[in-house]
Amino acid sequence: MALSKIDVANMLTGATPVANGGTALTSGFVNGRTNDQGAPIIVNGDMAIAQRSSSTVAQADDSNEGFATVDRFMLKFGNNAGGTITTSRDTTAPTGFGQSVKLNVTGADTSVAATHIVEFTQPIEAQVIRNSGWDYTSSSSYITLSFQIRSSKTGTYCVYFQTLDGTSYMYTAEYTISSADTWEQKVITVPGNSNLQFDNNANVGFRVGWILAVGSSRYGTAGSWTTGSAYGTSNNVNFLDSTDNIAYITGVQLEVGQYTSSTLPSFQHESFGDNLLRCKRYYQHIVDGNHKLISYAHWASGSQVTFILNTTEMRDVPTLDYDNGNDYWGIGGAGGSTNTLDNLIIDGYSTNKCIGLYSGTGSGGTTGYAYYGFSDNASARLALTSEIE
Amino acid sequence: MFKDCTMKYNKQDGINVSIQVVYPDNPDGSHREMSVPINNNNTEYQKIMKWVAEGNTIEEAD
Repeated sequence: MALSKIDVANMLTGATPVANGGTALTSGFVNGRTNDQGAPIIVNGDMAIAQRSSSTVAQADDSNEGFATVDRFMLKFGNNAGGTITTSRDTTAPTGFGQSVKLNVTGADTSVAATHIVEFTQPIEAQVIRNSGWDYTSSSSYITLSFQIRSSKTGTYCVYFQTLDGTSYMYTAEYTISSADTWEQKVITVPGNSNLQFDNNANVGFRVGWILAVGSSRYGTAGSWTTGSAYGTSNNVNFLDSTDNIAYITGVQLEVGQYTSSTLPSFQHESFGDNLLRCKRYYQHIVDGNHKLISYAHWASGSQVTFILNTTEMRDVPTLDYDNGNDYWGIGGAGGSTNTLDNLIIDGYSTNKCIGLYSGTGSGGTTGYAYYGFSDNASARLALTSEIE
Repeated sequence: MFKDCTMKYNKQDGINVSIQVVYPDNPDGSHREMSVPINNNNTEYQKIMKWVAEGNTIEEAD
């Protein structure tokens, strides 16, 4: 339904808002937004959630590459790209936001090879775009990306959009950092294309990526969809050319429709809990540190221990990702006795809602008795991940 | 991603159900470890299949 006018007076008095000449609206007004369609497409756009680490992590090619700090955003060094960026969640933020992601170049790469790509990216499930309301096969239907960015390095940067189902298409757009160390809002509109495909599944179907450095063989033309490589353009600055370079990003939102900075719906601020819950679809930090409960456990035989973890429903059956070492994990109970566990394994009955684990290296327990599994080292960490990349 | 890692199948009821990925030891002897379900929609499993396609091998379960 197209709205040409809304009776604001009724809204202010609490009466049902009425579209001029249309049907009464009974929902859809959240946090001042007038086009709310439910949860935001971008997850953790305010960078509030950082389950893996809220402090600094040095990221480079094959070293902490990928998801490391703020949830749902990853740093990639494509084709062995050089340089190091130390990322962190930071309290430097524009008005209305409490935090941002900080991208601090701590290892420079002054010579970007032709195939190199360094990008800060959020991968999105195909079904999210397919069911977003975007008529993505129509060139007159748009999505709008908006974000707040502050960078010490001025110049032209690129952000790319990539579809992954069917034939992959890419679209790159340029934006300009006009003033150093100043928060700027960028708004980028992207049209649909008759060749775009998004399947109705939970696999990765779309990527939005901020290009920090890009080599010549990965250049494309700004403003058009292509089956070729179009991560950035030749105008893209090399953000990694100096260890003086620092950027902050927050307030990332992707809206269905064509907007300008003056017509863009306000950022949909979620509660911390709602935001965390959406992040946990992809990653759940279960244990960090000493003497933390994993779950109750059961001695299945003289040497095998089984665990059941009830989790927030995840995207798919997750990977168990944990740190291991001497006495990192233990099992206790039965009068206070404890034993160590040397390995933890995800079992074949696991689903995206309930995870089964077992360890084949327990000993000394009584078959059939209930115990509890726990971390037994200050450096112990255990997580479940069902990310898309 | 799997540089210097070892990989081994885990068996349950006689069937391979997951792959144990063990990263190289840190100086203190600890290491990162992943247990990856055999599931085509799992991102780590997809990466392991690429790793295998490059000529690498997953050890059979004990």
